[in-house]
Parts: sequence; C-alpha cells; structure tokens
Amino acid sequence: MRTSYHEQLAGVGDGLIEMSRLVGSAVSKATTALLDADLDAAEAVIVADEEVNKLYRQLDDEAVQLLARQQPVATDLRAIVTALRMSSDLERVGDYAVHIAKVARRRHPATVVPVELRATILEMGQAATRIAVKAGTVIATRDLALAAQLLADDDTIDDLHASLFATLLDGNWDHGVEAAIDVALLGRYYERLADHAVSVSHAVTYLVTGEHSDPESYASE
Amino acid sequence: MSKRIVAEDVNAFYGSFRAIAGVSLTIEPNTVTALIGPSGCGKSTFLRTINRLHEVIPGARVEGKVMLDSEDLYGAGVDAVAVRRTIGMVFQRPNPFPTMSIYDNVAAGLRLNGIKNSKVLDEAVERSLRGANLWNEVKERLAKPGAGLSGGQQQRLCIARAIAVEPQVLLMDEPCSALDPISTLAIEDLMTDLKQRYTIVIVTHNMQQAARVSDRTGFFSLEATGEPGRLIEIDTTEKIFSNPSEKRTEDYITGRFG
Repeated sequence: MRTSYHEQLAGVGDGLIEMSRLVGSAVSKATTALLDADLDAAEAVIVADEEVNKLYRQLDDEAVQLLARQQPVATDLRAIVTALRMSSDLERVGDYAVHIAKVARRRHPATVVPVELRATILEMGQAATRIAVKAGTVIATRDLALAAQLLADDDTIDDLHASLFATLLDGNWDHGVEAAIDVALLGRYYERLADHAVSVSHAVTYLVTGEHSDPESYASE
Repeated sequence: MSKRIVAEDVNAFYGSFRAIAGVSLTIEPNTVTALIGPSGCGKSTFLRTINRLHEVIPGARVEGKVMLDSEDLYGAGVDAVAVRRTIGMVFQRPNPFPTMSIYDNVAAGLRLNGIKNSKVLDEAVERSLRGANLWNEVKERLAKPGAGLSGGQQQRLCIARAIAVEPQVLLMDEPCSALDPISTLAIEDLMTDLKQRYTIVIVTHNMQQAARVSDRTGFFSLEATGEPGRLIEIDTTEKIFSNPSEKRTEDYITGRFG
C-alpha cells in the first residue's frame, strides 16, 4: 500500500548514499591534489562539488514534500528528519574537500605540505576518506556496529590533528608563517569533516533506535 | 478516456442564495484534483455543478460555463442525464443498491443503458471490479448482496458501479469520510490507479488526504456566513502544501483559520 510514497522514501535514501559516494571520492581526490600538487585534480574536486550541492537541494525539496504530503510517522518520520541532517552533514564534508582542493590550487605549482608532514597529512587524508565512505555504508546498511566504529576512526584523526599542531609548535618550524597557516587549516578541515561523518553515524543510530546516542559521544566533537 | 474540464465564472444558487461565485478553473485529464476548504465554502456545490447534479435540487440553478473538452455541459440541448453518465460520481456514504447482489450493483448502469448480453455484462462486471481493486475479494460471492460487504468494500463497489458505464470523469464527494484508515488508504491507492484512465475530482475535508492523493489542490473559502464561497487558489499540491501563494490558504491548511 502507498507504493509511490514508499518509492519516494527509498529515493531519499538513495540520494544520501549517492551524496556520500561523491563526497568520499572528493576527499580522496582532494588529498591527492594536495600531496601531488595536482591542479587538474584540485579543479575536478571543486567542479564536482556542484553535483553534491545539487543533490543536497534536491533531497531537501523531496524531504519537505514528503513531510508536507505524506504525514510520515515512526521510522518513516525519523528517516526524513535524519535525512535532512545527514544531507547537510554530507554537504559540509564535500565543502571541506573543496577547501582542501583550494589550498592545493592556491599554492600550485608549489606543494603545500612540507616533507616531514607528508606522512601525517596522507594518513589524515586516508582516514578521512575511510570515514566518509563508512558513513555512506552506515546509511545504506543501518549497521550500528559499523556506526560505532566511526568514533574510533574519528579518534585517529583527532590524534593526527593534535600531532600536526605539536609539529607546528615545537620550535623547529622553519617553513614560514604561510605554510604554518596552510597546515593548521588543512588539519582543521580533515578534523571537521570527520566530525560531520560521525554526526551521520549518530543520525543513523537515532533513525534505527529512536534514541539519541550517548551524549558523551557528542562531547568530543 | 479522460477529459479536461474547464469552468468559467461558475455561480451556483439555491433559490436566491448564491452559494458559489465566480469560480473559474481548469482540471487536466489524468490527474487527481482535490478541492478543500471549510464547511459551507461551496466545494461540494461546485463538484455537483460539474455533472449537473446541482440543478436537481428544487430552486437550484447554475450560471456560467462548464466545458468538458469542447462540449459546453450547460449548452442548449445537452441532456443532463447523458452528462451524468459521462461524469460519474461517488458519494460520501457508500450507497450500494441494498436489495441487489454485488454483480447486479455493478451491472445496473449497463442494464439501464440497454445492455442485456450476459457475456458483455460478465466482462464489464469483472473489469470494473478489478478496476476498483475489489475483484479478488468478491469474485466467489458475486451473487451475495452488496450490502453485506464492509464499508470500505461497499465504497469500492460504488466506484466499480461508477466506472462500469465507462465515464470520462469521476467525481468523489468525501469518498473516505465514512471509512476506517486502512480502507481509506485502499481507496487512495485506487485513485492513483484510476487517474491513468479518468479525470478525478475529489472533495475532501481531510487535508492530509488531499496532500497524499492529488496532483492539484483547489482551496475554496467564504468571507463570512451568508456570503458565497469562492475559489481562493488552485495550484499543484506540492505548492499548496509547502508554499501557497495566498495567505488565506496558508491560514487554513496550518489550522489558523476554519
């Protein structure tokens, strides 16, 4: 019963999964652009974000239509309310990928990241890509065990973020202020985008259980 | 076959009282159009002007034009009974002919039109009951009285009876207000199927129902008791329920008025 309604609901879910696929690939590509000083990759990330924004607006419209016309209740209601939150988180993840790509573009043809920090940024980029992709899988599967794993991945990124700052502040920094600002900002972008991915996993937990996650798990954000 | 309805400056009277004033709207083929509004706003009266049912009330009359594609339904020489055959109607309370079997209820209109061939009737009855999504529930007991069905089934029987004579338009005047929520959803799903073949206009007090089933929604209202009802706004259902153009529409659908 209510076939078209259920199709529309499924469509919202599909839109979120597609968004998470796009932003996961944007984070990965932005990291490549950054570490390889690859201008084409940086431009590609910036252009591709338009698609993410389009999906975001489309999802917003669909969710509003469903709320206005179908009076969803129970799981259906939570699915739409959380979809609105998750799409906004995913859209932000995409924006951070764009920020990272823009740093790469701004310094091109120079590389942004000093050689002693390449490994840390690479690791952050890989962890951030992983967490963004996992967020997509959590949306698709509603797997709460996987949702919990995102918190651990986020801790890894937080540690890497802290270690970046330690390097910047240990008194031996000799790459100048500009590079220091770039590195501080990049660290911040990865750290923030991971938080948005974690927030997606909280939303899925709420969607499945109807209960908010342990409030302490929000505190770290 | 589905047809377009165009109303131009329709006014309907009960004696000297003008119930609706200046209603002009277009209803597209193969769509569901919902008419909503507070009690006494004239939405049911307007619905009944579409198949010339308004005028059967003593003293009632209609001014203005209602076109079904290129045919003026109020033109000179137009047979009102023929209009009602082309434009079927389903009422608020299921009203199967109480002494008739399920089969005879559906076949009644065809028999009235002079069809006697039992093979033709059998086919039409099955087709109509299938069309109303009732066939599987009643095929084993077609000879049983229609009045023995549940309320939701009776209403679908009435829809089957209405579509048996192959109308072009189906008018529904609060078809679900006497039904439980599950039967209501069954009728709503049915409307989505039926619009593939018919133009459907539904009057409903249930705004959520209008939001769920219709492609376009028209909002009727009246300034004050004793004033005629008017069409305030008609637009896509998406627009009406998410961002109506008229403040009066917004006030009504958000429950601030009416």
